[in-house]
Amino acid sequence: MIEVNDVTKRYGETVAVDHLSFAVQPGIVTGFLGPNGAGKTTTMRMILGLDRPTSGSVTVSGRSYQDLPAPMHEVGALLEAKAMQGGRTARQHLRWIARAGGLPADRVDEVLEAVGLSEVANRKAGGFSLGMSQRLGIATALLGDPRILIFDEPVNGLDPEGIRWIRSLLQRLAAEGRTVLLSSHLMSEMEETADHILVIGRGRLIADTSIAEFMQRSSGSHVRVISPQGAELVPLLEQAGATVTVSDGALMVTGIEGPRIAAVANEHRIEIHELSPRRASLEEAFMELTRDSSDYQGGAVGTAASTHAA
Amino acid sequence: MMTTETMTTTVALTSSVETRSATFRHTLASEWLKLTTLRSTYVTLGLGVTLSIAMTALVCLAVGSTQDELPADLAPATFSLVGNLFALTISAVFGVMAVAGEYSSGMIRLTLTATPRRSRVFWAKLAVLSPIMLVFGLITTLGMFLVGQAVLGAYGLPVTDLGDPDARRTVLGIGALMPVFPLIGLALGFLLRSTAGAITSVLALLWLPVFLVEFFPMWWRTNIFSLFPGAGADSLTLSHVDDSPMYSDPAIGALIVVAWLAAFISAAYVSFSRRDA
Repeated sequence: MIEVNDVTKRYGETVAVDHLSFAVQPGIVTGFLGPNGAGKTTTMRMILGLDRPTSGSVTVSGRSYQDLPAPMHEVGALLEAKAMQGGRTARQHLRWIARAGGLPADRVDEVLEAVGLSEVANRKAGGFSLGMSQRLGIATALLGDPRILIFDEPVNGLDPEGIRWIRSLLQRLAAEGRTVLLSSHLMSEMEETADHILVIGRGRLIADTSIAEFMQRSSGSHVRVISPQGAELVPLLEQAGATVTVSDGALMVTGIEGPRIAAVANEHRIEIHELSPRRASLEEAFMELTRDSSDYQGGAVGTAASTHAA
Repeated sequence: MMTTETMTTTVALTSSVETRSATFRHTLASEWLKLTTLRSTYVTLGLGVTLSIAMTALVCLAVGSTQDELPADLAPATFSLVGNLFALTISAVFGVMAVAGEYSSGMIRLTLTATPRRSRVFWAKLAVLSPIMLVFGLITTLGMFLVGQAVLGAYGLPVTDLGDPDARRTVLGIGALMPVFPLIGLALGFLLRSTAGAITSVLALLWLPVFLVEFFPMWWRTNIFSLFPGAGADSLTLSHVDDSPMYSDPAIGALIVVAWLAAFISAAYVSFSRRDA
């Protein structure tokens, strides 16, 4: 388990992380979300003891990372896949890391196999594509067979197949009872991977909730109704307790569910051509939540663009 | 090449290995592996040995073919070490790269994730660099000495051998002190984290006193320039055969060298332990 207790990190005048507290539970994939510059990477670096909190404390399995006797058995991390010296082969690269963690050299070939890099094990890592580097970074994280895994934007640069592969890997790791923390600035990424999400903006915790709860809390859900007798239907639905807005010939109904709408229409013999429940996407819910905390806000369009920027 | 295969692979993510604590011995082995798996290590050090010896051979050839005797104030042992300027420069740069290379690539964060105790990483880097530089220093100085004596001897100029205690002190002393500037370079790598900045600084400390001393009056030479690490080292290895206002008593020379090393290494240690990676 990772515990972040009232952590603040300042770089000079800039507050990167602001009184942040959360715990990451084992056995599930926890998504760590926020717009670029929200403090995700800084927080991950503090978990790994790379950066020191200005105040507050971070513990991993109850200790600070520096005090773990076998850190690679405890935590595996992928921060920046390209941050390595490219002159070494993939195998040589993993070897020095394994050696540092007191792990046997055979483990290197096991993880190369696990991430599908066995065939290029003797090629210089400097010539790897971003996708291959990401796999090498994941191999690094898996080296110590750790109980906790931390991945910073692991799908960057992966092709769709690679993305699917990483999703199933993450779920498998969590199913084995490991703690998995996965950061992303793309909400859509979390929809299919994470069980729980932590949302931060400007270094502050905005939400710490399950995916399901997060969806419900968002306000964008409605039922879309198309009917040739729309004008007759609106007052009837409002009588039934709904709020209706009309846009482009379609009715956006909130307050009552689809079956009730159908029943009302049927009762008054009103023809219906479309009746579809629309859940707000996680992306919309996320943007709504972080609208006030995005660092690079430039109006509505700008906000949308910034959450999609790589 | 790896796509479909990866999707179907069912390799165990769990290792059969039991949990063992990582120790300083592992850090040492890891740092050793880092240096020995980079081709640039061999290229740089090989170039250092070759250029130094080649420089000595060329200068000795030039002197042998144009002069009947060595300049009066130079011993043949000292003269044959003329190529040492390459060894010094290259070893200092090598020391910088052992650290700055990790900062410029960002790999230092991987190093510190694998070994979060910074003191271990720090001392392991020093412990690996020092003997490599010692061996490099002895190979280069002995190589230059032997080649130099052979060339001078071929022209009938006066030569010496390692049986002569004065020559031995110079040749082995300069070889054994080779780690001094690489260690300062290493410390500067930790302090500045920039390859260019650290190389510039260590080379300035190494060569500026040598170039500038000529422009300063005697008081400066004996009281200021004598305090630089190069002058301190030369007091140990050259003061018995050569005369210069920059030389001190060998004991003072040793103290000067140790003081510079201690200052750089402790500053680097404090910086590395406290700053964010």
